[in-house]
Amino acid sequence: MTRLSRVLGGAFAALVGLFLVAPVAVTVASSLTATSYVTFPPRGITLRWYAEVFQKPEFLSSFALSAGVALAAAAVSAVVGLAGGLAIHRYRFPGRGLLEAVLSSAFAVPTIVLGIGLLQWFAQMGLASSPLTLLLAHLVLTVPYAVRLVLAGLAGLDRSAEKAAAGLGAPPFLVFWHVTLPAVRGALIGGAFFAFITSFDDLTVALFVVTTDLQTLPVRIFNYMQYDYDPTVTAIGTLMVLFAVVAVVVIERFVGVAKLFGAGQEDTR
Amino acid sequence: MAALGRLADGPVKRRAGTPRRRTGLLLALPAVAIFALLFVAPLFTLVANSFRTQTGAFTLDNYARFLGDPFYRGVLWNTLRVAALTTAGCLLVGYPFALYLRGRSPRVRNWLALLLLSPLLISMVIRAYGWLVVLGPAGPVASVIAWLGLTPPQLLYNDTAVLVGMVHVMLAYMVLPLMGSLDRIDPTLVPAAKGLGAGGWTCFWRITLPLSAPGMLAGAMIVFSLTASSFVTPAILGGPKVKLMPYFVYTQATTTLDWPYAAAIGFVLVVVTTGLLLGYSRLLRRGRGEAVFG
Amino acid sequence: MTSTTEAPAEATAARRGRLRLNGVRKALGGKEVVSSVDLETEPGEFLTLLGPSGCGKTTTLNMVAGHLTADGGVIEVDGRDVTAVPPHRRSMGMVFQSYALFPHMTVADNVAFGLRMRRVPAARRRRQVAEVLEMVGLDGLAERHPRRLSGGQQQRAALARALVIQPDLLLLDEPFSNLDAQLRVRLRDEVAALQRRIGTTTILVTHDQEEALAVSDRIAVMADGVIQQLDRPREIYLRPATDFVARFIGEVNALDGTAQGPAADGYACRVAGRTVAATPAGEPPAEGAAVRLYVRPEVVRVGPGGVGSGGVGPGEVGPGEVGPGEVGAGGEGLRGTVRETRFLGSRIRCVVATPAGEVRAALPFDARVPAQGEEVTCSWRPSDASLTAR
Repeated sequence: MTRLSRVLGGAFAALVGLFLVAPVAVTVASSLTATSYVTFPPRGITLRWYAEVFQKPEFLSSFALSAGVALAAAAVSAVVGLAGGLAIHRYRFPGRGLLEAVLSSAFAVPTIVLGIGLLQWFAQMGLASSPLTLLLAHLVLTVPYAVRLVLAGLAGLDRSAEKAAAGLGAPPFLVFWHVTLPAVRGALIGGAFFAFITSFDDLTVALFVVTTDLQTLPVRIFNYMQYDYDPTVTAIGTLMVLFAVVAVVVIERFVGVAKLFGAGQEDTR
Repeated sequence: MAALGRLADGPVKRRAGTPRRRTGLLLALPAVAIFALLFVAPLFTLVANSFRTQTGAFTLDNYARFLGDPFYRGVLWNTLRVAALTTAGCLLVGYPFALYLRGRSPRVRNWLALLLLSPLLISMVIRAYGWLVVLGPAGPVASVIAWLGLTPPQLLYNDTAVLVGMVHVMLAYMVLPLMGSLDRIDPTLVPAAKGLGAGGWTCFWRITLPLSAPGMLAGAMIVFSLTASSFVTPAILGGPKVKLMPYFVYTQATTTLDWPYAAAIGFVLVVVTTGLLLGYSRLLRRGRGEAVFG
Repeated sequence: MTSTTEAPAEATAARRGRLRLNGVRKALGGKEVVSSVDLETEPGEFLTLLGPSGCGKTTTLNMVAGHLTADGGVIEVDGRDVTAVPPHRRSMGMVFQSYALFPHMTVADNVAFGLRMRRVPAARRRRQVAEVLEMVGLDGLAERHPRRLSGGQQQRAALARALVIQPDLLLLDEPFSNLDAQLRVRLRDEVAALQRRIGTTTILVTHDQEEALAVSDRIAVMADGVIQQLDRPREIYLRPATDFVARFIGEVNALDGTAQGPAADGYACRVAGRTVAATPAGEPPAEGAAVRLYVRPEVVRVGPGGVGSGGVGPGEVGPGEVGPGEVGAGGEGLRGTVRETRFLGSRIRCVVATPAGEVRAALPFDARVPAQGEEVTCSWRPSDASLTAR
């Protein structure tokens, strides 16, 4: 590679980097503006809009709802994903092929279609909108990821290791605890993380499931944006970015974010 | 833990080779229940409803209406057009970026990959809102244009805004498979070709590009079908003016309250996107078959 | 194990470990993999199950370990019926082809696992782990994770993990197959030496006949789910009981003839009009019965082909140095023409065309090399060749 092309390549990569961070950087910066409308570069510096967020109880309750549902989705996805992954990987049972097919086709169905399908199905079943229906709707989005990650983890586990543990005197539960579970630990953390992010972030499905007094944070922001253009949203956005950064740092420490996404694509081993 | 060990018969097979169907079923049950009740049943309902009138009688009217109305045909066409443009945009930005990443150290690669994935980790709504600010009348792009002495054009609520927002989200889906396929290229091939007298461009056109085609194809398929079915970013950046299928599913279901019609539009969307993915997987299989027999 | 506290354990280990299989059967996926295996080990013995892949050897080992349940028959360890006992309640240390170390644990934690399961107090656990690691030559690598060890080191760690629990039986499932040739030989000799030192009854499963011959006290050659022959390595090699054993292990000359009757040092037969002798595997055949002789190339002597030349008695002259006119207890020997000779380094390969077919001989490197076309006589000690009914 010549020097010129290297410099050009670097410049191009920097531009792409700028493009990637632009919306987030601008959101964070303009959350500090003293003007009552959003502007970049910000004029003056104030934390007023952050105070504003905490004075709006509807945002706080939406945050609580979103976080609660997301945590539940993460926990349930990890457990259901582990059980489902083990079942598919280890056992032969009627409907196993069908389950696998459904799990893999779930990725292909547009979220919006799932949303409207759930809306009509819940209506037919007479299920009123509640945090529970929201959680159920999100599980459809999150469980396939969890199962897939667990399957990848199990594929990397040498079954002899389990035999070895049993031979060394570990009863089945301890074999599972000491050998099987550690092999899928990364998958479970990854699955839970994905589930949390997906649920916390979801607008498409939530729009169909929520009501006026039960709104997740993305729905609340979406609706707020339709009528108001004040910097409150930028402040909320900044807080959510911080939240995501913390989550990423934690995950990076445990598993590595890139590996997580890679595991979803294909098993490299 | 130890006490539990004596009580619990963990989900590990005690002895390999003896299939224990009951345990398997039991373990699969939660996933099966979730998908039967929250995936299969809703989709079934959706398809059933799409063949009904508002009052419940069987009809093909919803589809006839969709395909017969030039306006809705235009929506379908526009959806495919925006998806194709987004795919092209991702390729144009993503391919050079993937090439650049290929030559970097693992450290740099890791950081750039994280950067690439960052849009996926940040709330879709906030991300789209960020673009609203960037492209908005008081945003940096407008300021720069004004500073140049020009009148800033309308940057928001049109195809361009949707395109920018979509490329931003979808770039990772293009670059990751591309990187995978570039990494698989034997690194001695290009020096070998150069040794045979090929120039840099010839090497690129004759070796790198064709060998990375599987990655490009994979990325393109994913980007296309995800874009065709995405709702949030186009809804925020395009609004009602940019006419896309997912937006109409939403408005028909929540504003017009014509559920059967919304179901029909949704089903057409499913057919378009899954048809594409199925075609892709078939293409992949054929490609592999050729590799084996050729 | 050098410490004095371990001395009693060593003594008991020598008395423990009598494994008995009686009519053990196993079908997998509708196919009978192990048909009916009978086997009994002496305490402290090193026994090898040798056979090609799919012969049922690994399945048999898995039944001994408890990872598979026998469909029929009885498995006993020191008189205790363990046929239906789950693996964690047996006391068997197993080493796998893939090493099967726990990837998330250090070497020390891997080795300590079995002791933990046995609730061995921490202090004693640490001491025992250190001792066993020293024994296998891994002291200093205790805190490493398995992926940062070489293949040989991983195998040693796996061995240490299996041995530290002082198992009734040590089970080795193709433990050297993933190692390169040199290391394989070194490690297998180390394991054999270690086994002899600590005296744990050991069952090795392998498809490598050289490995089996090198380390075993006895070898059970398996094919199609049954034990073809169970004997000491020398007998397995020199006196194969079945056609399968003869051909699976090394090169063999198979000669067809008819039984004559007992001779001074074996059993005489007529092969292509000449009298030769061998040792019957099993019951001696009836006179006049069709028989087949199995003669290893290494035991064939090639002498000048005078009238009446034949074999030699035991201990008279070395192989390849038969004087003309000598008649040994082995009969007349087979006469033929040397077709080719080839220097192979450690041996000289000599092919002799005889009326009974080609006879291949592997002569020591310093033997007199017969010229191509020379008339020679091939002979052997009757005790070094096998005779079976055909």
